[in-house]
Amino acid sequence: MYTRAPVIVMELPEQLNHVEAKRFLDELQPLLEVDRPSVVLDCSQIKHMDSAGVEMLLYCLEQAMKRDGDLKLAAISPASAVILELMRVDRLFEVFERSEEAVRSFQIFAPATVAQTQPWYAAPYGLTDLKAAG
Amino acid sequence: MGLGAVLVIGAKSQEVARDGGHSSELPRTDSEDFLDVPLECVEVVGRSLLERMIERLIAIDVEHISVLVEAKSSAVAPSFRHSPEKVKVRVVADMAVAIEEQLAGYTQSGIGHSFITAANTYTETDLLDLFCFHREARQPVTRTFDRDGCLDLWVVDCAKAQPSELVILKKNVDQTGAPRYFIREYVNRLLHPRDVRRLAADILRRNCETGASGKQVRPGVWIDDGGEVHRRARIVAPAYVGCASKVKADALITRFSDIERNCCVDSGTVIEDSSILANTTIGICLDLCHSIASGNKLWNLQRDVAVEIVDPKVMRFTTAARKLAVHRSERIQATEEAAKPEMPQRWQIENNTIQE
Repeated sequence: MYTRAPVIVMELPEQLNHVEAKRFLDELQPLLEVDRPSVVLDCSQIKHMDSAGVEMLLYCLEQAMKRDGDLKLAAISPASAVILELMRVDRLFEVFERSEEAVRSFQIFAPATVAQTQPWYAAPYGLTDLKAAG
Repeated sequence: MGLGAVLVIGAKSQEVARDGGHSSELPRTDSEDFLDVPLECVEVVGRSLLERMIERLIAIDVEHISVLVEAKSSAVAPSFRHSPEKVKVRVVADMAVAIEEQLAGYTQSGIGHSFITAANTYTETDLLDLFCFHREARQPVTRTFDRDGCLDLWVVDCAKAQPSELVILKKNVDQTGAPRYFIREYVNRLLHPRDVRRLAADILRRNCETGASGKQVRPGVWIDDGGEVHRRARIVAPAYVGCASKVKADALITRFSDIERNCCVDSGTVIEDSSILANTTIGICLDLCHSIASGNKLWNLQRDVAVEIVDPKVMRFTTAARKLAVHRSERIQATEEAAKPEMPQRWQIENNTIQE
């Protein structure tokens, strides 16, 4: 039976600089140290973000992934999106327009609800079949 | 009778233009806040639009070219890469009065006709043909327009325009029945940073006559004097690297991007469909797409948002430019202080018998 920790929604501060990022991380850290953490970070309040803020987001994502969880971003402003794109990290996060959508996405794609499928490299499209077709 | 030209830089030029016809919406304040200088003075693929317009005027033997800079629009006079002798730059407080004075001066020195243009209006029309059209029409003013509407380019008869104190430029020319000259050739109004990007792409793709500065080192790749490209960097044509700019190892410059003067693109960074304006340093391993970067400011054209980057490791002005920026801000401050109305001194109030 698959169980998942409840989805945690946290609002990021207005200034996501070195000091604020550290303060925010201190709050978030214990919530990441559970099995399969599901975290949504609401970015609607962000007005300034620097590389320390981006680094903190990456660290949180890494921590969540280590424990088989995920971290998603919601309500990201165009300015913040530009910074994430500039620093090449935009592709690493799932981004949603609203926090509710991000929360729902954890429930929809929970592994227990997804039908078990064979890996992509298995037959009938395996190497042996391709050889036979050739 | 010779030919003269008046090029107008600054917000007031737009007012003149707007009054003179129906100019499009002008969101100039945003862009000027972003770039600190008017768009027409921004170098695009090596030269500013102002320089390119002056080149066109010199090519048809215009005798005198006056560049009038609105005092409030920029504390710094426009700089030219090759300062032409015919060009005189003046910073003026009242643009309408300055144009009027200039035309009076032209008449006195025997110049019969003059082009008047907002420097941000770049057209590649045959200016001599426009002049001939104006002369044949025998009207004091001829205005130009293209398929998108009126353009801020006129030809005026200096002597005839003078008695009416140039009211003709302040009124709606279309209603006065002044002749209109239709321009079919390349036009760029340069009202938004997006137009800077369009101009750069058009120059690099050769959609317009004006070309890139510097030397074409291989088809579609221009490198200007002192520009350095690391052997491990990749430049995908068409592209431009400006004077004394550096493109470091593993950097990629692609899709009609231009790196202007004194820039540095650090290792591993990708510049795609973007313009890096003069004196800008871009940090390592970044992705800059569909943007205009100037110092620590970035205008993303896809999202239409301007971002100020506070982290100097990511984006910053090059050192020389930072000193210039400090100097510029001091000059702006001095200009603002000079423009403040003089307050009465305390002794004046105390000695005023009426108040007592």
